[in-house]
Amino acid sequence: MPTRPGWVRSRKAVQALALIAFVGLLLLSRRDGLSGDLANIPMRLDPLLMLASTLAARALIVGSVLALATLLLTLVFGRAWCGWLCPLGTMLDLLPAKLGRGPRPAVPEGLRKVKYVLFFLILFAALLGNQTLLFLDPLAIFFRTLTAAVWPILDQIVTALETLLSQIPGFDGPISSLDAAIRPLILPAEPVSYQDAFGFASFFVVLVALNALAPRFWCRYLCPLGGFLGLISRVAVFRRTTAVSCSNCGLCAEDCPTGTIDAARSNASDPAECTVCMECLETCPLGAVKFKPSLSQAEGRPYDPRRREVLLTLGAAAVGIALFRSDLLAKRESPFLLRPPGSRESNADVVALTSCTRCNECVRVCPTGGLQPAVFQAGLQGLGTPLLVPRLGYCDYSCNACGQVCPTEAIPLLSLEDKQQQVIGKAYIDQNRCLAWSDHRTCVVCEEMCPLPAKAIQLEEQDVWVPDGGTVRLQLPHVVRDLCIGCGICEYRCPVSGDGAIRVYAPSVIAAF
Amino acid sequence: MPDISRRDFLRLAALVLGYAALAGIVEACKSVTTPRPPTSGPPDTSPPATAPGTEPAPTPPSSSMTPASALPASALPASPTPAASAGYPDLVVARHGEPEALVRRAVAALGGMERFVSPGSNVIVKPNVCVSYRTYTYAATTNPWVVGTLVKMAFEAGAKTVKVMDYPYGGAAAEAYARSGIAEQVQAAGGQMVVMSDRNYVRTRIPAGKWLKQTDVYNDVLKADVLINVPVAKVHSSAVVTAAMKNLMGVVRDRSAMHGNLGQAIADLNTLIKPDLTVVDCVRILTRNGPSGGKLSYVKKLDTVVASTDIVAADSFTATLFGLKPNDLAYVKIGAAMGLGRSDLSKLKVQDFSV
Repeated sequence: MPTRPGWVRSRKAVQALALIAFVGLLLLSRRDGLSGDLANIPMRLDPLLMLASTLAARALIVGSVLALATLLLTLVFGRAWCGWLCPLGTMLDLLPAKLGRGPRPAVPEGLRKVKYVLFFLILFAALLGNQTLLFLDPLAIFFRTLTAAVWPILDQIVTALETLLSQIPGFDGPISSLDAAIRPLILPAEPVSYQDAFGFASFFVVLVALNALAPRFWCRYLCPLGGFLGLISRVAVFRRTTAVSCSNCGLCAEDCPTGTIDAARSNASDPAECTVCMECLETCPLGAVKFKPSLSQAEGRPYDPRRREVLLTLGAAAVGIALFRSDLLAKRESPFLLRPPGSRESNADVVALTSCTRCNECVRVCPTGGLQPAVFQAGLQGLGTPLLVPRLGYCDYSCNACGQVCPTEAIPLLSLEDKQQQVIGKAYIDQNRCLAWSDHRTCVVCEEMCPLPAKAIQLEEQDVWVPDGGTVRLQLPHVVRDLCIGCGICEYRCPVSGDGAIRVYAPSVIAAF
Repeated sequence: MPDISRRDFLRLAALVLGYAALAGIVEACKSVTTPRPPTSGPPDTSPPATAPGTEPAPTPPSSSMTPASALPASALPASPTPAASAGYPDLVVARHGEPEALVRRAVAALGGMERFVSPGSNVIVKPNVCVSYRTYTYAATTNPWVVGTLVKMAFEAGAKTVKVMDYPYGGAAAEAYARSGIAEQVQAAGGQMVVMSDRNYVRTRIPAGKWLKQTDVYNDVLKADVLINVPVAKVHSSAVVTAAMKNLMGVVRDRSAMHGNLGQAIADLNTLIKPDLTVVDCVRILTRNGPSGGKLSYVKKLDTVVASTDIVAADSFTATLFGLKPNDLAYVKIGAAMGLGRSDLSKLKVQDFSV
């Protein structure tokens, strides 16, 4: 590679473009927006997600070969993905938190091992059929945070501003036109709220705050994808080298955002840690830093994962999964654990979708806001997996968007006709709370809402005695269980406050009570 | 761009916020001093004064800058004198024809679109687009050509803007507009499909309401110069038959609140929202498993359009197409009693013809 100024600027431009492209793909991938194949590109570029879900699901998804591009890039240039493309890395560059003016505290070098440990844990867990730790994949973190926290906040702020400005006489028309122009493009059609969005936002804030300890703390010490790419980078073609003209001034070591340049080792760096950011190339007053091809394995470092440690992570993965399986939910599944259409897997594995990457693309694309990222509803191992919460939004009978955008087909790609046959759950009426059954009021909202042509809710006409004398003719709703697909629109619209008087139960629950 | 100091920035921000707050307060005061009157249709259908402020102001239409609270939505069609409108039939039934011909003939019999739409006015056409998963052949949503023809006619009468909107209960609006086929016809006619925005509702009191005293109503509908109500006739489990009066539920945000006393709530809402013209699409009617149906066997093709300036009369006649009597519909019975219109078909001047 040529050594001339401008590399850093080029890198920053590429980072900005990549960030815009990733965010743009996310925002534009909505129902009737970009095709699923385009929307899936960011996730499918992530080799950790693709490898883990292929291993966990024991099935190769055609789109996952895209991840080979990233692997190839890494084989040639090292962790250039981290320095040039990764949206989370770019965010961490953009938000360099630093506390006070003094020097940053020293972080022990041994901490770099954590990312390798996490990588091997994810790998072995995937082999054993579990993907819980993909919660820590950088792309999943980035997109999940955008979905569960940033997007609703953006919507709230835009709506509040529009409401405020439209009170100014004469502004109402233009504001409405502006809203009509941008909302279908990038904002939710209706306000969305995500359960525990605060938690997902806090997780991201913590990642950024860790920058106060060291720049790109996450990428240096924790990122499992970084660990994966780091291992490959040890045999990458292009390496950073210092020429004999190096005066050991130590400027490059000071500037290195991953802190891998070691002044004590004549300013050598570890290719597994270097994100090819090119800062040192421009910092060096003597032009002694070069990126040159070399066909050898990188020198070992004390924090490299050892065989014994790798074996230990295998054991830890096995024990961890066993622990999950001894969880209460594994024995008595939550009756309200509703999964996106078609994604429900074998009963033994209901608590965590096997190949779900926790990226929450499905959550964002759900037009009713009914799909929610699970926090603990699906057990610790289901953290970040999608749940349908009918009280917050129903499964739209005319929509199959979640399956279209799922990068690993954890939610299967279904035609609309097929999706309309999928049983998400079964509705049950609580007659003690139903307005018609218990209060003798005229309410048939659930029957009215049922989208099935044959109506899975039927009304029984009955004359009932009322306390103030006489009888009234009532329409009492009944669920036709064989027809019900559990879309949840009845529960969503049920006018009873709190929990609906009609609720959708998970399909494995044979009887609700 | 000149540098701006923090102090200046804060001053500017305070100024803007202060102005916005002031504007909000002024707007709020207006709605207190001049509660927006329930609008009234043409004089022959205007209800008895049920509450203060029901009299339509005889103001000519002014520019869209006029605050909504000062201008009744139907000030425009109020211009024909009672004597002039007395010559029109109370109800028109056009049968046996293409949707466009049916609509054109029916509206012509009522005095033509010019009777309702003055040049330069802002028109809203409110079809029934209840769900996003049915094409128009299932009769769950209004016939696209019926809607499209009304848009065309409004423009022919000189309308400045014609917006078409509804709030589906099942699925998203944009999807529903497209699948129903309405978007295509409306856009071909030059009209605008509006996705109703959640922030654009206004808490509105219903002075004449007996049970429903206030509700959030879509602002555009309150502000429109002309409102044309174009429902499709369907059976409906709780309302028995849904057509014109119930179709207006689409302009309020919280519809589940209305189900507690549906018949009265619909009538109450109709004291507030008064379409200038009602055209009931009976090209296809839904006879089973309404309001969304889903099988073609539930659909009956009648090739009929019912039009009236009297929304109660329109629903009363529509009920007969299902073999029912007007008073079988609770909201018709209550609405007639409240003076919203007339349900006794024998006393109406009905023009029933074949196209």
